[in-house]
Amino acid sequence: MAKIIGCIGTSHVPTIGVAYDKGRQNDPAWAPLFEGYKPVAAWLAEKKPDALVFIYNDHATTFFFDMYPTFALGVGERFPVADEGAGLRNLPAIKGNVDLQCHIAESLVNDEFDLTIFQEKPIDHGCASPLPLLWPHEPDWPGAIVPIAVNVLQYPLPTARRCYKLGQAIRRAVESYPEDLKVVIVGTGGLSHQIHGERTGFNNEEWDLEFLRQLQFEPEKLTQLTHADFVRLGGAESVEQIMWLAMRGAMPEKIRKLHQNYYLATTTAMTVVLFEEGEEPAQQAARSSTASVPA
Amino acid sequence: MNPQLKGIEQLSGTYAFDIRISNKTLKLNRFLWKMIGKEWRERYLADPEAVMQEAGLNDTEKELLRKQDWLGLVQYGANFFVLEKFARVARKTNLEVYAIMRGESFEEFMQTRRVPESR
Repeated sequence: MAKIIGCIGTSHVPTIGVAYDKGRQNDPAWAPLFEGYKPVAAWLAEKKPDALVFIYNDHATTFFFDMYPTFALGVGERFPVADEGAGLRNLPAIKGNVDLQCHIAESLVNDEFDLTIFQEKPIDHGCASPLPLLWPHEPDWPGAIVPIAVNVLQYPLPTARRCYKLGQAIRRAVESYPEDLKVVIVGTGGLSHQIHGERTGFNNEEWDLEFLRQLQFEPEKLTQLTHADFVRLGGAESVEQIMWLAMRGAMPEKIRKLHQNYYLATTTAMTVVLFEEGEEPAQQAARSSTASVPA
Repeated sequence: MNPQLKGIEQLSGTYAFDIRISNKTLKLNRFLWKMIGKEWRERYLADPEAVMQEAGLNDTEKELLRKQDWLGLVQYGANFFVLEKFARVARKTNLEVYAIMRGESFEEFMQTRRVPESR
């Protein structure tokens, strides 16, 4: 059976892709970002997952507001990396695994997540900006992507709770796949940022760190937030963090953090975090001390 | 009113893009979205008035575009993720558009950032 071996939360800021393509890995303004991804890339290289379930959003590139899906899953052996108007990037087409994608689609729909299915459509920076920082791409990507697009652009958006439940359904879908594949769930977007209106440039580091804490230990609490709460706390576009809740929903109750990098350079708190199933040492200690209290 | 958006009206300088707005501004947003395509971009640059007319834009929308009134476009109901595609055609970076929306010069805006060299 397929197994979820961990999850990664990552920003998908388009300038990450631009800086990567321009080779600014050692530029002092960008190095803290790129360095922050290295431990995650090393973990992926060591664990060798067969597939990444990538929960991302399309930025009105492939889908437009005249028909914009709430949840959409991509099926295909390949997906072109989208030209968003600034030219094609020097990346191989994103690789798929049709059998796995179809199984996950069938499982999700039978589990009452009535997805749109897309095929032979380009995938934009929502997935393609962080992907090369996670996986090498020369000569080709080492595994498949199961792209799942979430509407975080045109309200009504799916609620935080709905996204969390989607994650739980993704776990059931992956774990019912008969082949012994290793799967990692990637949630993208955020953290705090606002890029429209006079409130552009809003950030809230205190909230970002609290969000990361709750994501790990009290994700149910985050599912109670409304979209307006996310907008107030983290800026308008930080509402895309509901996609991190979909990632979290696919993980067991107890997870431990292997790595975190938080870099707020200009407008977006660019963050990457890696979790595996398990307990933090403090949780273990608390549990064993409780257990040793005489009855 | 979408209950998920309750209270958002209290946040100044924030314009939630919902299906009610989208329905009123679909033509403008489609015009902006099509800037992804090279042919549309080139036709627009060669004859902006003709392409705005073809897109079915009204006079208010045309005037906002002529003036490249970035904040005005957002307040009118342009979605930022298609507006940024138009910004590329207007040879503006996102950071430059952010500064304009805040009513600051580019350098003033960058000085409010933690890593002003990151551009």
